[in-house]
Parts: sequence; C-alpha cells; structure tokens
Amino acid sequence: MSFKSYVAPLRRCGRNLFLVCLILATAVAVHSQVPEKTLKPPREGLMALYWPNLSDLEVSVREQIKEQQNALIVVAKNPATSTTELSEAFGKLGQLYHAYQLIQSARDCYFNANFLAPNDFRWIYLRADIDRRVGSMEDAIRRYRLARTLRPDYVAVPVNLGNTFLNLSRYDEARASFLAALEIDKNDPAAHYGLGEIALSERNYSEAIQQFNQTLAQVPSANRVHYSLAMAYRGLGDLEKVKAHLAQQGPVGVRVSDPLIDGLQDLVESERVHLARGKQAFEARQYAEAADEFRKAVAANPDSVTARINLGATLSQLGDTQGAAKQFEEAIRIEPGRVNAHYNLAILLAGQNKHEQAIAHLQSALKVEPNDAGVWSLLDRELRALVGLGRCAEASDWLHRIIATAEQQQNTELAAKLKASLKLFEHSPCRPSAP
Amino acid sequence: MRTIAILLAALIALPFSASGQQRVVFKEVAEQVGLKFQHYNGMTGKFYLPEITGSGGALFDFDNDGDLDVFLVQGNVLEPNTQPGNTLFPWRGPESPRGKLFRNNLNTGKLSFTDVTQQSGIVATGYGMGGAVGDINNDGLPDLYVSNLGTNQMYLNKGGGKFADVTKESGTDDPRWSTSASFFDYDRDGWLDLMVVNYADFTTANSPACYAATTAKDYCTPRVFRAPGNRLFHNKGNGVFEDVTVSAGVSKDFGHGLGIVTADLNDDGWIDIYVANDGDQNQLWTNQKNGTFVNDALLAGVAVNRNGQTEAGMGVDVGDVDGNGTDDIFVTHLMDETNTLFLNLGKALFEDRTREAGLGMPGRRFTGFGTFFFDYDNDGWLDLFVANGAVQLLPELVRVNNPFPLGQPNQLFRNTGKGSFVEITDQAELQPLEVSRGAALGDVDNDGDTDVLVTNNNGPARLLLNQVGNKNHWLGLRLVGKSGRDMLGAQVEIVITEKNTLRRRVRTDGSYLVGNDPRVLVGLGANTRVPKLRVHWPDGTVEELKDLQTDRYTTLKQGTKISPATAQRRNEKS
Repeated sequence: MSFKSYVAPLRRCGRNLFLVCLILATAVAVHSQVPEKTLKPPREGLMALYWPNLSDLEVSVREQIKEQQNALIVVAKNPATSTTELSEAFGKLGQLYHAYQLIQSARDCYFNANFLAPNDFRWIYLRADIDRRVGSMEDAIRRYRLARTLRPDYVAVPVNLGNTFLNLSRYDEARASFLAALEIDKNDPAAHYGLGEIALSERNYSEAIQQFNQTLAQVPSANRVHYSLAMAYRGLGDLEKVKAHLAQQGPVGVRVSDPLIDGLQDLVESERVHLARGKQAFEARQYAEAADEFRKAVAANPDSVTARINLGATLSQLGDTQGAAKQFEEAIRIEPGRVNAHYNLAILLAGQNKHEQAIAHLQSALKVEPNDAGVWSLLDRELRALVGLGRCAEASDWLHRIIATAEQQQNTELAAKLKASLKLFEHSPCRPSAP
Repeated sequence: MRTIAILLAALIALPFSASGQQRVVFKEVAEQVGLKFQHYNGMTGKFYLPEITGSGGALFDFDNDGDLDVFLVQGNVLEPNTQPGNTLFPWRGPESPRGKLFRNNLNTGKLSFTDVTQQSGIVATGYGMGGAVGDINNDGLPDLYVSNLGTNQMYLNKGGGKFADVTKESGTDDPRWSTSASFFDYDRDGWLDLMVVNYADFTTANSPACYAATTAKDYCTPRVFRAPGNRLFHNKGNGVFEDVTVSAGVSKDFGHGLGIVTADLNDDGWIDIYVANDGDQNQLWTNQKNGTFVNDALLAGVAVNRNGQTEAGMGVDVGDVDGNGTDDIFVTHLMDETNTLFLNLGKALFEDRTREAGLGMPGRRFTGFGTFFFDYDNDGWLDLFVANGAVQLLPELVRVNNPFPLGQPNQLFRNTGKGSFVEITDQAELQPLEVSRGAALGDVDNDGDTDVLVTNNNGPARLLLNQVGNKNHWLGLRLVGKSGRDMLGAQVEIVITEKNTLRRRVRTDGSYLVGNDPRVLVGLGANTRVPKLRVHWPDGTVEELKDLQTDRYTTLKQGTKISPATAQRRNEKS
C-alpha cells in the first residue's frame, strides 16, 4: 500500500481514533483493488463509469447512492434492456450525483444518458448546468442552445444562457436571451434582473432602475435587488434614493423557476445538507423555507437533536409555539443533557408564564453547563418573575435547589454567586409587581 | 493621461522575444538560493480551520544592506498534548517549528540566502499566520510584526541583525486569531500606527463538525465562529502603542477579516483602510482627518460585489490599473465566486468591473489568497498576480488520492492597457500545483524587475525570479523620511508627460499575510528618462523632482530632494 493510498483516509480521522482509522484505511486500500469500482460501458460509444468514493459520505446518502448504482448495474447487465431504460438509469444516477455535488460523476452519467437519448432535453440541460459550474462556458452555451430547440417553453434555459453570456460580458447576446425568456414569461424576475444588470453595466441607469423595479414587483422579498437599485441611483446622483435602498438591501437574490434543478434538491435525503440549507434560510430570515429544510433533516434522521432544536427554534419564529415545544421536548427525550433544548424550551415556557417549568429546564441546563451566561440571565429573569407574582418562597426554594446542585458539582464560584442572589431575594420586600 | 503608455503597451509585446519565441516570465529558485523552508500546519484530521489559513512572510531589508531579506512564518500543532512529529504530515525538522529569518547575500555578488534565525532573537514559535513590516521607532530599521492564532509578536529591529521582542512593552499584542496587519501613519504625526485584522473566535474546543455538499466532513466556513473584530493601535512615539480601536470608530463594524490594505482611496491626502472580510461585507474605513474613521464601503460600492452579494474576501491590493490617477481595489475570493476588481471612479465611488476586465471567469475556478498589482514586464501598466489554494477538499484530487487535496495553480494576468487583463499563467511557469496562501512582491535580486515570494500551506516557500521585466526601462525609488524610515503611504506621480502620469505608492501591506518591498519600481517601457516626479509625502507635503535617472534605484529623502549616495546601480541577473 502506498503512502498516498492510506494517508487520505487517515487525514479525516483524529489521533484518538487512530486504530479505527487504520482499519478503515486498510479497507479502502484493499477495496480499491476490486475491479467493480468501474462500470464498463454496456454499449458501444458509452464511457466507463468510475464509482466515486462514498466512504466519507453520510450513511443514509451512501446507501441512497449505492441503491441507484445497483439499479443501473442491473439494467446495464441485462441484454434485454431498452435504450430508453438504460438512458434513464444513467440519467437518474447522474441526477443523484448532481444533487450531492459529485459533479464529475454526474457529468459522466449525463454523457451516457445523452448518448443513448440524444433528444432528451433533461440530460442536455443538466449537463449544461455542470458545464457552467466548472467554467466550461462555451460548452454550456452550446448545450443551452441545443436544449432550447428541444424545449422552447422552458424559461430557465434562456435565463441561464443569458447569465452565461453576462458572465462573459457578451451583453448583446445576454440581452437577446433575457428578452427571449420574457417572451415565454413576460414577468420572469430573473430575466428582468438580468436585463437590469446589463443596463447597469452599460451605465444606462434609468433602464436598470426600471428592470430592477420590475424584478422587485414580482419578488418583493428579493432584498439583494435593493443594492443593485442603490448602485443605479448612485449613477444618477440621487443620494437620497441610494441611502433608502441601501438600508433595505439584504442577502436574498432572484432565481428563475427551474423544475429540473429544483427537482435535484428533492432527491437529497441528507440530514447534513438539509441542516445547512435550513441554517442558511434561517439566517436570511426565510423561516418558512428554513422550517421546511429542518423538517426534511428530521425526516432523514429522526434522532437528530440538532435538527429538532433548529426546527423548534424556527417554528417558534413562525409563531407555532406548540410545534416548537414538541420538537424541544423530543430533543430532550433523545438527549436529556442538551442545553440548547432546555434553554429554548424554557424561553417558550417563560413566554407562557409557566415560570416553574421554565426554571426546571434552566436547572437541567445548568447541571450540564454551569456557567452558561444566557441560562443565568433567563433564570434571573424567571426568579424575579416569581417574586413579582409574590411567590417569593417558591423563588427562594428554587434558588436553594440550584445552589445545592452547584455545591454538588463543587462549583464554589457559582455557589457563591447564587448565595449572593439569595440574599437579594431574602432582603427584598416580597410583593407582587404592579400589573 | 495615459496616451503614451497605451502606445508603449502596443509596442512591447512581452512575453515574446524579438525572434517571436516565447519567454518564460518566472524561474523558481528558492531551494537553489538557499531559501529552504517547509510550512507545517499541524493538521490531525479534525478539519480545524487554522490549518488551511496560513501562513505568510515578509520581504524586508532588515540589515539595511540594500537587498531584500526574507522572513517566513511557520505553523505549529493546534491541539494540546500533540507532538509535531505525530500529525498527519509530521514535522521532520531538527528543532521545533518556528518562523525563519533568511539574510540575502546579494552584496557578495550572487543571490543566496542564509538562515540567520538563531542569532536574530526572533523566536516565532506560535501558530503563525502573517508578517507585517514597518519602522515603528523611526530609526531607519524595519521592524517586524508577526500575527498568530493567539498572542502576536512585535519584534523591534535593534540593528546588527538582532531583534528584541517588545510585544508587551509596546502594547501591540492581540491574543485572538490575527491574520493580516498593516503599518501606516493615519494621523500624520510621523509615527507608524498599526492595524491588525482578526479572523474568527476559534478554539479547538468550539470547532464544530462541518460538511461539504457531498455530506463528507470538510473544513468549516468562518461563519460558524464569531467575528472577533479588528484592532487599531496608535503609535505614541515613545515605544508604546495605544489601543484606539473604539475611539477611532473601527470597532463599529465586524467581519471575519483576512486582508488589509491602506491607501488614500478617496484622494483627500489622508490614508484610508480597506479590510477584506471572509463572508461578511468588506469595510472601507474612510479617514476623517481627526483620528477617527467611518465605514463607507456600501455607498462606495466596495462592500459587496456588483450583485450585492457578500463574498469570501481573502487577499486585497490597490493600484491604479486603468491609469486614471486613482487607486483601484482587487479582492480575491473563493472558487465559484469571482475575484473582484473595483475600479475607482473618483470621489470615493467605485464600480465592480470584474467581468469587463476579463477577471471574472478565470477567478471562478480557484480560491484566491495572496494577490498584488505589479508591472511584471515594466511596460507601464500594472499587471496582476493571484496565489491560489482551495479551502475545501477538491473532489478531483480526492479521487486520485492526493494526500492534501487543496492544490490549485497560481495565476498571472497581463494588463492589456485597454481596460482588461489577459491570463498568461501558461507562460509564467509559476510553480507546481500547491496550496498557496501568501504572495509578496519585491525586487529580490535588485535587477529592476519585480520578483515574487509565494508561501504555501503544508508546502515549501517559492521564490519566483522575474526573467523578463528588466528588458524594459524602469525607475526604482526608495522614499524615506528625515529619520531614514521608509515612508509608507507616500504617493509618487511619475510624470512622463503631463498627459501620461503614472501613480504608485510606498507600502509594505496588501496581498495576504505578507509584508512587501517598500520600494517603488516603476516600469517605463521604452522611455529612457523621467522628466518630472512628484512625491506626496504622508504628512501632506509635496515635493517635485526633475530628470530622474532610470534603470537604477534612487533613494529620495523627504526635504532633501535626492540622496545620490544611496543610489544603486542596476545589477545583472544572478
């Protein structure tokens, strides 16, 4: 075994897992000698398929891809398989690879699918998407043009063709493509945005403003367009409007309706991918989309505490407190020591004036993370809320219990801090706050 | 302004010789000239972000003998209780990993380097990131600042090849994860101040598991860590710096900072600050001339790209690439994003003209880090160098079992003089496929063209000697103050004719994690004389000089017009 063949798997393993990793590395090296790593061309003119190394992928994803690979193998080995069936099998595997960004493998699959079914729009269009991603722009242009002859009604083709020309500063061809897209859908926001971009590049600011406004009219949530508008108004010297639009700019862009590419996302059954997408949507304050992604993450792995906590937090943003609480409770059931689940649930309960229950969860959180500032801050608020309700004895009782926990954990600093708080409670007049 | 230079560009069709045969632009000579340095990143397979972030270095004449010496920053282990010999790419050196200082022996007649770390007093054994250079005590000797993941180090150059660690007494430490840094005199008091850029609130304990789109484990983006904020130190002139981050206003906006460059970007005579942030809006801190700064990046059009998208800003440089008399900005980014060229329209307004300049598509293929404008062929137009190396595992390299699958080629772009660049990487022979991070520019062999020092992550340092630039005429300038200090921030207008004026600046900052040659090397094309030169000193004064001699270095001392004693003759290439 060469150095190279085992160092790559080792690189992914920590020092503490050395033995386990060495076994994995050996397994990979041995496995690499098995000839089935390549699918020989089942028909003349097709290319051999190299099976990508799936060992690092999430288990469910690995299984999903292997299943699709096996489906292709079965079809490929059957001499009775029709050309259409074989093309479909290559294409489906290509789509799955594409969905998980195994780009080279996807490209090879699409080549075979397209070879067997040269007039199938899907394989040409998806291959063009890959060409564009890897920077083979002329290939992308050629394939988009071909795709357009097969599906003249598919608006994403001229839009993507336009964007490809735009990236190459070929503005006249880009303009023609976006206008062609508008012939299919006169309101397509991505086509309007593309025309706006061309106008801005050509310093035709009035035209740019018109196109960007049409974009926003279709997709008001696309707050990134405000930046483009600001730059166009800057060109006109209208500082007031520049500032107004800069104040509204954000991360949400415009995209064309593209069922084929969107369909790739639906193939993804990975908790990790859905979590990442959900976080991205959450950061962009697109909570409905974020909740959808986190739901998919939970579906991919029902025991994922992270997915449930994130789903709960998102549902909470959407006002679904009951649904949120359910997710936090489920997270705690799976992992009783998860601080964020206790903390988030405590926030929900506090909002419902269920102070005792909130404090109980905060206490559970403190057992795990005795110095969590956020937990302390909320606990302080909740205890004061109890005092405000005239329930000083209960507040004091809770505090005593938490002090006992801190002392059990030999956290003297924390215990001292708590005792100081206790004095505050005992020496304050205990009367309800004014409503 | 640039009519003659356009003609020059048309006349000089480098890199082709008169016979039409293609010339190689660079020759890599690091090992051959004794610059033996292997970067160590301490990686253990846990995908800690700092492993793939460093490291840089500096080109600076620490012994003031007229040639550029080299400091190279080193990594270390990241995890406690880990030995350097037990990591994925084990450290094999005879001593623990540490930054290295190499003396240039060019004055012996031949380019060669000697490792003088041991006797220098520099003990850079932290997890090193970058180097920055500036003379903080106005003694004419350049001092060195080393940024680390953890405590930084300020090394005062004591002369005689000795440095003293004055971090504590100077008050310039920043214990966070610092990356690039810049020395500049923002308040015109004659003392170099220091801005330190910080990246992410990382610890091995708070580093989560992150995954690529394939669902395989991979390096995290910095956004999973809090942005710690940058730090501005004001030099009080008595060996002590004061942290003025808050009072100067530069704490108002945060970002995951990687690159910094300081220049007068709004042409008001005062030095501004531009910070490239990774995944956050970039910042343009406009100097308010009263010790404070305001971030004008959004309005100026340099916070995000033309579509309003924040990008992964890494390295940055400024230079007048279109010859309109204002400094433009170039920022390197992740692959699948473009690198971005912001052209300065004047009045502190910029426009993203990346794709019009032909820099869009070539940048999308790679992740750029170190970068700088330089006139590699001395034709009078600023060309562009970009050092690349991925930050997420490259499937095509994983597929062939590459043990460190992040390698990408570096790139060289020639300025056509017509508003665009042409990639000429194929003709440049830059180096093998490596994971490049820092790229510092300087005329290492004093032959009148700009050479390049490339620092590679988990790889050797590379020294690319320019083979073509000095076939054209050039003007070499060192601009020093009354104390002999390099006057970082000074601007030079090289007046070929009143309609053809080149604008260059004195700096050591820019690019990524490096310190650059403070001298100004101006390509003149076929011009053999410079009738007039205007120097805009950082304190606001302007001097005009006439009939500068070309094809040699000349030291200009503020207030004394010229110092012929320090002028150097052009050397032949070693």
